Amino acid sequence: MVDENTNAGGQPLEEALIKAREAQRRVTDGRWVRLFDHFKREWQIYAMLLPTIIWFVVFLYKPMYGLQIAFKDYSIFRGVADSPWIGWEHFQTLFANDQFIRAVRNTITISFYNLLFGFPAPIILALMFNEVMHATYKRTAQTIVYLPHFISSVIIAGIVITAFSPTAGIINTFIGWLGFDPVYFLTQPQWFRPIFVGTGIWQEAGFGSIVFLAAIAGVNPSLYESAVVDGANRWQMMWKITIPSILPTILIMLIIRIGNVMEVSFELVILLYQPSTYETADVVNTWIYRQGLQSGQYDLAAAAGLFNAVVAFVLVMTANTLSRRFSRTSLW
Amino acid sequence: MRKLSLAAVLLTGSAISTPALAEGHLQIVDEPLELTIQMNHARYPIYEEDWPVEQAAREMTNIHLLNDTVGANMRTDENTGRTEALNLMLASGSIPDIVGSSRIRDFVNQFGPEGAFVPLNDLIAEHAPNIAAYYAERPDIEAAVKAADGQMYYIPYLPDGKYGRAYWIRTDWLEALDLEVPQTVEEYEAVLRAFKTQDPNGNGIADEVPFFARQWPELIRLVTLWDGRAHGSDTYHDFLVEDGQVSHGYIGEGYRDGISNLARWYEEGLIDAEIFTRGSSARDFLLSENLGGSTHDWFASTGGYNSLSSEIDGFAFEAMAPPASVGGNRVEEHRRILVKPDGWAIGYTNEHVVETIKYFDFWFTEEGRRLANFGVEGTHYEMVDGEPIFTQEFLDSGPVNRSLYQAGAQLQARGYFQDYSYEVQWTNEFALAGIELYDQGDYLIPDFLGVAFTADEQQVYDRTWGSIRDYMLERQQSWILGNGDVMADWDAYLAQLDQLGWQELMGVMQSAYDRQYGD
Amino acid sequence: MSGVNLSGIVKAYGALQVVHGIDLTVAEKEFVVLVGPSGCGKSTTLRMIAGLEEITDGDLTIHDRRVNRVAPKDRDVAMVFQNYALYPHLNVADNMAFGLRIRKMPKAEIKTTIADVAEILGLTPYLDRRPADLSGGQRQRVAMGRAIVRHPKVFLFDEPLSNLDAKLRTQMRAEIKRLHNRLGVTSVYVTHDQVEAMTLADRIVVMNDGRIEQVGTPMELFNNPANTFVAGFLGSPPMNQMKGMLTETGAKIGDAEIKINGAVAGHAGRDVIVGIRPEHVTLSDEGQSSALPISLDLVEPLGSEALLHARHGEDTLVFKADTNGDIAHLSGVGAVHVPSHLVKLFDAETGRALNLGT
Repeated sequence: MVDENTNAGGQPLEEALIKAREAQRRVTDGRWVRLFDHFKREWQIYAMLLPTIIWFVVFLYKPMYGLQIAFKDYSIFRGVADSPWIGWEHFQTLFANDQFIRAVRNTITISFYNLLFGFPAPIILALMFNEVMHATYKRTAQTIVYLPHFISSVIIAGIVITAFSPTAGIINTFIGWLGFDPVYFLTQPQWFRPIFVGTGIWQEAGFGSIVFLAAIAGVNPSLYESAVVDGANRWQMMWKITIPSILPTILIMLIIRIGNVMEVSFELVILLYQPSTYETADVVNTWIYRQGLQSGQYDLAAAAGLFNAVVAFVLVMTANTLSRRFSRTSLW
Repeated sequence: MRKLSLAAVLLTGSAISTPALAEGHLQIVDEPLELTIQMNHARYPIYEEDWPVEQAAREMTNIHLLNDTVGANMRTDENTGRTEALNLMLASGSIPDIVGSSRIRDFVNQFGPEGAFVPLNDLIAEHAPNIAAYYAERPDIEAAVKAADGQMYYIPYLPDGKYGRAYWIRTDWLEALDLEVPQTVEEYEAVLRAFKTQDPNGNGIADEVPFFARQWPELIRLVTLWDGRAHGSDTYHDFLVEDGQVSHGYIGEGYRDGISNLARWYEEGLIDAEIFTRGSSARDFLLSENLGGSTHDWFASTGGYNSLSSEIDGFAFEAMAPPASVGGNRVEEHRRILVKPDGWAIGYTNEHVVETIKYFDFWFTEEGRRLANFGVEGTHYEMVDGEPIFTQEFLDSGPVNRSLYQAGAQLQARGYFQDYSYEVQWTNEFALAGIELYDQGDYLIPDFLGVAFTADEQQVYDRTWGSIRDYMLERQQSWILGNGDVMADWDAYLAQLDQLGWQELMGVMQSAYDRQYGD
Repeated sequence: MSGVNLSGIVKAYGALQVVHGIDLTVAEKEFVVLVGPSGCGKSTTLRMIAGLEEITDGDLTIHDRRVNRVAPKDRDVAMVFQNYALYPHLNVADNMAFGLRIRKMPKAEIKTTIADVAEILGLTPYLDRRPADLSGGQRQRVAMGRAIVRHPKVFLFDEPLSNLDAKLRTQMRAEIKRLHNRLGVTSVYVTHDQVEAMTLADRIVVMNDGRIEQVGTPMELFNNPANTFVAGFLGSPPMNQMKGMLTETGAKIGDAEIKINGAVAGHAGRDVIVGIRPEHVTLSDEGQSSALPISLDLVEPLGSEALLHARHGEDTLVFKADTNGDIAHLSGVGAVHVPSHLVKLFDAETGRALNLGT
């Protein structure tokens, strides 16, 4: 590397020294030796990382091996490897099936409602909690709204079925007081989505608000004090400080949520739907459950699941890219 | 459990003291032979080696079964009959020597031809005289058990007795309203309406629920009152056979008329408004609250509710004969099926298939059958005049069926031939009276015993039936609930079924049926 | 007309009183610095002036108007916070405009105001940037800009420089001083740094334990600390304080005796605390009259000066001496000479300064 620059003294001495030293190190310590040294020095950090890696490998990467049955005529007895390849046949079956198409449409519709109404709910709740001053009242209210999250879907469904019962349910009792006829909500297709989305909000809004409350707690209190001195009222502070400050959290949660668009909580759907409400209630996962798992068609179910995953992946990528471009916030 | 182990100890003791029994004619091998078994059923998720019945069988046959159950999963799906434990077992890669389960037929008929289970035809012919004798008498049942390749892959549980469900009605309400037991569908409707409007429970509110059901498909069964058909077997929404032709209840005109009328009944409030969501507690709740008027349910368990008369004055819930349909037919669609898809099979790695089939045959001998039905002599029953009679102590020790399961008797995951006399001994008087009533008429109709598909047929079935069933149920509920009119929608409904592949499905059903039951 | 007047201001959280009745008058256009150790109540006092804390008792007036119950926005004060309190989602211009928009100032007016203030603070090139993209000093300037645009009657500063590094702090200190000179707005400034207090203040208020220890110009406080606390707080390094006993001509500290001017004669035998500023001594050899013998521990060169860490008996002392370019000659120091007129005396029990008739 002797050229004019060096001769002309363009390279400062210090820089040359560093280069020389690095070149020397490269000679004495091979890549593997350095890697070994690195692990030896930092092994505690890797030890902490290990459980997560194991979890990912065992529960997420190893099962990916089984994804191939989406392209195979799978028999449990023959096993994944020995079942014959059949190409895209399962996907053709899926897309030739009106009920599957309907399930996709229902999934997207329900998710859209969930996003539209269910996503802002915990944010609004968090903002409301943030405005509550009385500590005991706040704690009590928070506990009450967190509670439904810890109840299993089976119980939730029982509560919903009871609440909407045409004879004994509280909703219909109320409707009766107003002088109307009772409505058998859970068998009417047009009521399924509102009830399902509403139940989801009731169950998860409180718990979901925790992350936003945490974000709000992370807002520098002097921002509010500064705003108070500047003359802002509480409403203005909420709009101009709180919400913009937790916007990154909101966006991250939104991206995650969009990634779960295809994952409508299908236990609850199964518990609440009826053949008479399939029209609006049947989602991809319940369809998979009925057609695939109950009938033992694991290969078809895997194809449907793979389709779900691909859609979700595309959605997350898109949402993340848009968010990164327009708000400088992104998952990765 | 403690009681059981005590019984086991007693039994072992008595077996040792009578060595003659161990060397009896039932012994299959000279040296004790150990075989592994997976046994799974909703009520006994794993095989237990210390069941008294099993210990007795071990002494008699010298075959020792060892529990090797994978995934003691209690889930069985009512509609499709798949048990997850079987799938888990297969996925685990090893199959025990013997596999016993509820709903095993479709499973072994699919995986048997693939090589997972041992074909039994020759083995039965050569080594199982008792089973062979049974099949010689009942070729229809033998046909029902066979897979598409003509082989039998499992030994079934064969229920005994004819009746399952019946129509039940509050006869005390009839009396209170001065009504007769309805004999026709018109009278039945009038009675239900009277229940709704004339306040038979006397609380001044029209809160009576004239017709209710624990399982909503029982409501659909009422289409038989308009000469329709609902369920072809004890599996809901099953196919049926008419004159050698496979068909389905949900495409018949009688079904259409029936649904139309049931929709009218529902509209009028003659049917539980919450029929589709009330669930399994419906009977318990509505009867104990003095609200329910009539239902269609099992003889024994429903008859038991008459004990409510101690709480509700005059309470009487009695079986009635099926009302005559509009065409004048009295039909009880539900019956005990002749052969269950439950039973046991031999795994392909079994090295003692001959001993195993002999062991299966043991349960079809007189002693084996008695053991499977009544438990252990001296512990659970005594022989009186040549008949096995349960000891009073055993009958008093709690629900009899549960006690039998706990002793290892009446296990439907075992292939055996049930003896109905076991049940008569403890069936309540109301149920017995009902059975007697049903015995006077000839209400039962033949069941569809199921078909086994070839791989190609299976594919067509898998592709079409799920969607078709979903669509049928969806429309069915909607019509009853008043969302749409079955009469107006009928042609479109049939057209849609065709579009979903109805003809194709019927084609494979028929070819499978012809192969299995044709001459 | 006074800028800000506090009389008998008390702050209590339940039973816990943290400010015990403060009386203070800040003249219009005056720059007053509240200084004291952390927990002394200086920030609480400032926040009471701002209206961020309720006043438990006493009267607060701003421009002769009692504002105890007036909302912060109506007090016409602007506050600069320790961590700047900039809105991370707004750019510099919007940050400065925030208060004006809240007050519904016309847009055009906002624009010109911000342009003016940005010019003063040298922020014009950065108006479009978000706080995250600014340096610490720039953020500090934006925070001040946000206060300045409001044209308030009173500026309140809550330790505004404590998040900056030493160099920037010196720079910004000067800038604040210049701004005050230029704008001439009444300012109350809280800091725990006595150098800031000395350099910025027209008057310093030294606080301790929720009470005012002394109020005065920086030099008054430096020259005549009212008590040992003030003496120990101001000055860098602070005044050396030693236990001693008065004699007819001076004070006896341990075995040594130093001469003191003034009428100590009548007070011989009284226990006192003797205060000597580190920079007030001259180095001398042992044995000289009115010299304090010391044993030297350590010499810390600062450049033109050096700090001498030394001991006299039990007392640890720090003195300042010129190096004249070399510290070798300092290593042999065995005693310091204290000019008798610069020795401060405090009561040994109360800590109050003693004025024995100079």
